[in-house]
Amino acid sequence: MSAHERDTHFSRRAFLVSTTGLWISAGLPRPLAAAAAQRDEAPSVLSPDEWSAVEAISERILPADETPGAKAAGCVNFIDKALASEDAAALPLYREALQALEHACDARWKKKFVDLDAARQDAMLEDLESGSLPDWGAPGASQQAFFGSVRMHTLLGFLADPRHGGNRDFIGWRTMGFPGPVHHLGGAQPDQMSGKRRFAPIWERTPPRPSQS
Amino acid sequence: MSEMKDVCVIGTGAAGGVWIDACTRAGLDVVALERGPHLGPSDFRQHDELSNVHRGTGFAPTWQDTTRDHAAQVAQLGRSTMLARCVGGGTAHWGSWCWRFREDDFEVLSSEGPVEGANLADWPISYAELAPFYDAAEARLGLAGQASANPSGPPRHGGYPNPPHPPRRATQLIAMGAKKLGLHPFPTPMAINSRPYQGRAACINGGMCANFGCPVHAKASTLAIHVPAALATGHLDLRPDTRVIELVTGKDGRVLAARTLDASGRENEVRARTFVLACGGIGSAQLLLSSRSARHPDGLANGSGLVGRNLMFHNFTFVFFELPEPSLAALGPAGMVAIDDLHPSDASRGFIRGAVLGESAESGPIWSAYKAPGYLGENTRAWGKPLKDYLRRYPYLDGMIAVGEDLPQLDNRIDLDPTHVDAEGFPLARITYESHPNDRALHDFFDARLHEIALAAGATKSWSFDTSHTKGGTGHIMGTCRMGNDPNESVVDRWCRSHEVPNLYIPDGGCFPTSGGYNPTLTIFANAARTAAHFLESIARKETA
Ligand SMILES: Cc1cc2nc3c(=O)[nH]c(=O)nc-3n(C[C@H](O)[C@H](O)[C@H](O)COP(=O)(O)OP(=O)(O)OC[C@H]3O[C@@H](n4cnc5c(N)ncnc54)[C@H](O)[C@@H]3O)c2cc1C
Repeated sequence: MSAHERDTHFSRRAFLVSTTGLWISAGLPRPLAAAAAQRDEAPSVLSPDEWSAVEAISERILPADETPGAKAAGCVNFIDKALASEDAAALPLYREALQALEHACDARWKKKFVDLDAARQDAMLEDLESGSLPDWGAPGASQQAFFGSVRMHTLLGFLADPRHGGNRDFIGWRTMGFPGPVHHLGGAQPDQMSGKRRFAPIWERTPPRPSQS
Repeated sequence: MSEMKDVCVIGTGAAGGVWIDACTRAGLDVVALERGPHLGPSDFRQHDELSNVHRGTGFAPTWQDTTRDHAAQVAQLGRSTMLARCVGGGTAHWGSWCWRFREDDFEVLSSEGPVEGANLADWPISYAELAPFYDAAEARLGLAGQASANPSGPPRHGGYPNPPHPPRRATQLIAMGAKKLGLHPFPTPMAINSRPYQGRAACINGGMCANFGCPVHAKASTLAIHVPAALATGHLDLRPDTRVIELVTGKDGRVLAARTLDASGRENEVRARTFVLACGGIGSAQLLLSSRSARHPDGLANGSGLVGRNLMFHNFTFVFFELPEPSLAALGPAGMVAIDDLHPSDASRGFIRGAVLGESAESGPIWSAYKAPGYLGENTRAWGKPLKDYLRRYPYLDGMIAVGEDLPQLDNRIDLDPTHVDAEGFPLARITYESHPNDRALHDFFDARLHEIALAAGATKSWSFDTSHTKGGTGHIMGTCRMGNDPNESVVDRWCRSHEVPNLYIPDGGCFPTSGGYNPTLTIFANAARTAAHFLESIARKETA
């Protein structure tokens, strides 16, 4: 689906399509950013303000409740590293949309996005998701395309292997109860598959990844 | 200009791997040209769900294609297929469900009669002719399964070489549910070792099979089996990272050479007496259409105009569901139970042909997260607290898939995109595909059946996942170089030899006249072995003559 179709035929289904699709369609992917992303929490392409705004948005997409959310999992670090490499094609979308979002927050609340309370942040994001923020100042970066991208990126930062810079302390995998890459943990036995014996997840193991090369 | 080889095989996937193995075993000197790298378990251990499922960079980092529904549209640039570009091709990262087609799958036109808008055909071969090659392929790949457990399957002699895999909890629940509905569930036949077999390790139940390379080679592939065997004969010159950009023909109409481009951008020509084009249903059509000359203005082997047409890739119907107890979906291969009772064609259902159903486990967290909107429904926003609560349901989720037969249509096709080119400057494959009304009716029927089975398995909730927009994302690419007896109605003959170019064979998935409603690759393996055996017999005859 093209960016144009995405903009004009927005619906739940289109949303699903656009968020399961890839950003790389605009350019060829770059080498894996995994190494660069390892535990490096300093911004590489986002400005400090952009970093804080993306972090705040991601925290509304996967908020802390009984368990930690996107902020604690370091999703913004994942996003920053992705925008520096594989998903570099989406950086202009982020830049333009973030600027337009700050203008919209300023117009409505006279505040920056990060300084809004959670309810107001959610109200802004709901409008962003439906493309209804007025006087949107980024014609090249549609509200829905941006929202869909941050949403998907946040999920990826929460759930991708920690070596890509997010999922800190396996927070994402713990939330889901995904035990980690089973083949890195020595594999599973039939009694574990049938549920008779528990399969210990990666965060309970020391070292967490005994057999990784 | 290189020396003259006996056989040049282009592409090392299912069909290419089989031909390489058969020819080197017979003592022929083979050069194999493979566009992608020669990866192995140490590379596969670096792959993860982000690289292989979401980004698709593990196996084909630069893949791009363009897609559209019909000829009146401008195709959009994207990445629809999930094919692998590496030694082993799609067998390096397949799920390895292994089906034999049913007897009637080889005679769809005569058993159904013509259907408007579809281009049905009979295969030029019968099930009986392929059966011994199915036997041999199952033995070579080390299939794990339970003999004669499928009441709708074709007749078979003897059992599988290995016993079925141990089930996970969700598998057991699905099987119990299906039985309640009067169906006959059975272990999905898989080319994954359930015990050590012919020098390859047993499965460690790590999950992550489809889209991933096996870290212990328990999963069968031409990478793990056929290519190493061929290398051991000393008759194989394997050239990874070597892309064929054109087939050059001589005055006699035979292929003279394959023009290649290596990773450093150097061009070369590879000569051989016989050429085997096995680049998969998209790659082979693309290469033939690119090999234009005064003599072949519409591309090589394309006198029928059918190269690239009749494209099929199955109709995937997914239903996911929430069980009352943990599915343990991350442990073990993705689909361990299948149901085939509903496969036989029955026009009273409102459509012809059928599908095989099977478990499609909720293997990874990212793939699971994609499906939040379907679970949450139209009226709940798929972010914030609802999204987080959805993620928490992961341990209880599982899924099923119906692999449905899609009908061949002339206008569904691969051709060369007129505007978009790849990094080396060659036109991208353009995919034009629209479902036939029969395909849509089949999809709706099986969608409803999957929901019923999920419910009978104890599911508290089930929902559909629409994949109709993913053109070729099934990875099952068929039809683009149709096999048949009539040169006007097909591209290759019953031996997968071009009707027009006598030293060119095209044995990959493109040769399928119809798509069967089963994952196609065991049939590709068996048919490639059949055609390679015939080729070897024919040259042996020439030598003795
Ligand atoms: C994720 C996934 C899961 C799957 N699971 C199953 C399953 O469970 N069961 C099943 O039956 N099938 C499955 N399949 C399908 C299976 O992978 C294919 O049917 C099979 O690999 C097709 O074999 P082939 O020989 O036609 O081509 P391929 O295996 O696609 O091989 C083609 C080869 O040619 C090479 N090539 C292409 N162009 C050129 C060129 N110009 N020069 C040189 N080399 C070139 C490619 O790099 C590739 O290695 C799956 C596919 C995918 C994507």
